[in-house]
Amino acid sequence: MKAIKAKSFFAGIHVKDMKSLACNCPTEVMPDPAVAYISLRQSLGKPAVAIVEKGQKVKEGELIAKADGAISSDVFASIAGEVTDITELDCAGCKESFIVIKGDGSGEKSYFPPLKDATADEIKARIRDCGIVGLGGAAFPTAVKIAPKTPVDTLILNGAECEPYLTCDHRLMLEHTEEIARGARYLAKALGVSRIIIGIEANKPDAIAAFEAFDDIQPVILKKQYPMGSEKHIIYVTTGRKVGIGKLPADSGVVVQNVATAYAVCQAVELGKPLYERIVTVSGGAIAQPKNLWVKDGTPVKELVEFCGGESQTPKKAICGGPMTGVALASYDMYTHKATSGILLLTKEEAAAEEPTPCLNCGKCADVCPMHLMPMNTAFYSAAGDFETAAKLGNTMSCIECGACEYICPAKRPLIQAIRKTKAAVRAAAKKGGK
Amino acid sequence: MDSSIVISTPPHVKSKRTTKSIMLDVIIALLPAAICGIIFFGVDAFILEITAVLGAVATEFVYFFIEKGGFAKKCKNAGAVCKLWWKQFDYTSIVSGLILALIVPPAVAWYEILIGAIFAIAIVKMVFGGTGKNLVNPACMGRIFIFISFASVGTWIAPNFDAINASEITTGATYLSGALLKGNGDAMSLVDLLLGSGLAGCIGETCKIALLVGYVYLCVRKVIKWWQPLLYVVLSAFLSVCLAAIPEDGVSAGFDIALFPAFALSGGLMFGAIFMATDYVTSPKGVYGQLVYYICLAVLTSLLRYLTGIEVVSFVILIMNLFVPLIDKYIVRKPFGYKREKKVKEGK
Repeated sequence: MKAIKAKSFFAGIHVKDMKSLACNCPTEVMPDPAVAYISLRQSLGKPAVAIVEKGQKVKEGELIAKADGAISSDVFASIAGEVTDITELDCAGCKESFIVIKGDGSGEKSYFPPLKDATADEIKARIRDCGIVGLGGAAFPTAVKIAPKTPVDTLILNGAECEPYLTCDHRLMLEHTEEIARGARYLAKALGVSRIIIGIEANKPDAIAAFEAFDDIQPVILKKQYPMGSEKHIIYVTTGRKVGIGKLPADSGVVVQNVATAYAVCQAVELGKPLYERIVTVSGGAIAQPKNLWVKDGTPVKELVEFCGGESQTPKKAICGGPMTGVALASYDMYTHKATSGILLLTKEEAAAEEPTPCLNCGKCADVCPMHLMPMNTAFYSAAGDFETAAKLGNTMSCIECGACEYICPAKRPLIQAIRKTKAAVRAAAKKGGK
Repeated sequence: MDSSIVISTPPHVKSKRTTKSIMLDVIIALLPAAICGIIFFGVDAFILEITAVLGAVATEFVYFFIEKGGFAKKCKNAGAVCKLWWKQFDYTSIVSGLILALIVPPAVAWYEILIGAIFAIAIVKMVFGGTGKNLVNPACMGRIFIFISFASVGTWIAPNFDAINASEITTGATYLSGALLKGNGDAMSLVDLLLGSGLAGCIGETCKIALLVGYVYLCVRKVIKWWQPLLYVVLSAFLSVCLAAIPEDGVSAGFDIALFPAFALSGGLMFGAIFMATDYVTSPKGVYGQLVYYICLAVLTSLLRYLTGIEVVSFVILIMNLFVPLIDKYIVRKPFGYKREKKVKEGK
């Protein structure tokens, strides 16, 4: 189908996308790590519960930890070998449980049987069994998302990739167009919808052209505007529907899935392959050779950096994820997981590390807020410790933490920090009040 | 990995815009008006501009020096405090000083504007907490302080730009009162109004072309929103035209749209709209709040101009500055996707 142009949403920012560093690098397969450190917390919900023991032999793709609760997901061995330890490790500043697997190099695989002419229920069951989570970053279990409580009529594939630097979805869309399309059809079948839209930002014309080949998928050219990849905004610009506050996209009859998730669904249905590897973009000005790599879960970040030629200069910031929403790393002692979309090493010129200056009250944060909030109110009242007023006047609880306000702030105020603090305080107060 | 690595909350990339760069843009936008002022009013204007800027910066420095304990322990920390001041110096006091110099008539004495600058920075800005904390526009307040305190401001002199025109100048405070009294717009040609030639007025307010250049620059650099000054000037001039049509002593001047440019271009309206009303610190945040603010400004300006016949823009901006906290408190935007809850009728 011919691609159509989408409208823009009010506010938002224009970030220098910096994608040219890695967007022309075809994906490479990263060699298996000698030892994989597989996190048990690989979804939004509770961490999974380990079902293997120390010393047990596992195959690639074997279930090693069971989901605990509705929004948790199964975890699979990413390499074949022996479980050497189940322990707590420091990971980006938090203690987390890990299953440590020492590879034996055999490469033995254990997949589910492939499905042929799968029914909707079979697809749903397979998605749950394969531990598929949203690969855009939030790691929300896909099985929950495709079982909406309200009827839906549209599936939107999110190929916006509005974060600067990241090119993993872009590469996937170019190299595995067919698989993404088939995965989207499986998802549509599971949901019982016929309308499939794929939204791609205008800075990826080759990907848009690739998706024009299918009759049943409508490519939509999204304006280059951050945060276009936000669920609420991609729904608004492609369908004109607004998702209410505290409502789910399904309440507006829409389900949004990342393109990488669609690819994982295709692999799960056709090959029976569980989700244990993904494309990670390694980029930034301080990395010798920016690359897009197929990486097994549990690969140490240190090995990724070394595989890309190491540091070309001393980085000012190391980031896991995109530069607008990712987590700053204090060291390379971190391991990839299902939602690791990128590892970025930013130079002194690229990374923001200025001292904050007094707030000018310029209101630029409110001007760019895609959710139409008032971040300066949140910052002002939370600094004074009045979190209730902060949340009320800033409408903080609706914040999607896209970081647009802090990006634009001429005084470099730590607005996201204030917003997170306020959100945590309000939630804590609500919990206290509930008891 | 080095120990110099920085850890912080996202976002990890930020725009290159800083308070300093914005203030620098404002200074650049003010320069055409400042230069025109010097051309029209000569060395006096230059002395006033320099005095105001230096006075403002010095006041800020002295206040900061005392506040941070520069004199404590026999001035032991003086060097460190100076360094600290230089680090946090964001050009805002230069902007305030320059604006103050541009909105006073050239007849003001240098010590008068110096006192005005000290008052504007020390009392209006620093006492409230410095940059970003002041309730009202310092330059605006400084001008009003000078106007009320010193008699010399009452005398308006014509610029020496055009000696022939000078003889024709109306003797009123500004062109505005002349136009209002005569009830027609032909008292001064529009070209003169635009260029500011042969016109009595404040140093920076006379040459509208210079102001327009500054306006375009600020819009291009996205320091201000283009519609804000436009809304203020156009609406206020339009309302003034409407008010001029009100019959006086039974004689109606009639609705004459030809008066529109005269009202829009006269007095300090354009300067106030471009450089003073749009001051970040003292204007509301959020589009709806800003709409209310500029509409109120326009209504008050036209109304008070009609009632008093004197130049009221700085007073009006001052009044509305004081309403900004209220506007900010009560006009909170609704988040994206907000739907007004339908009131469910109670009862069975």
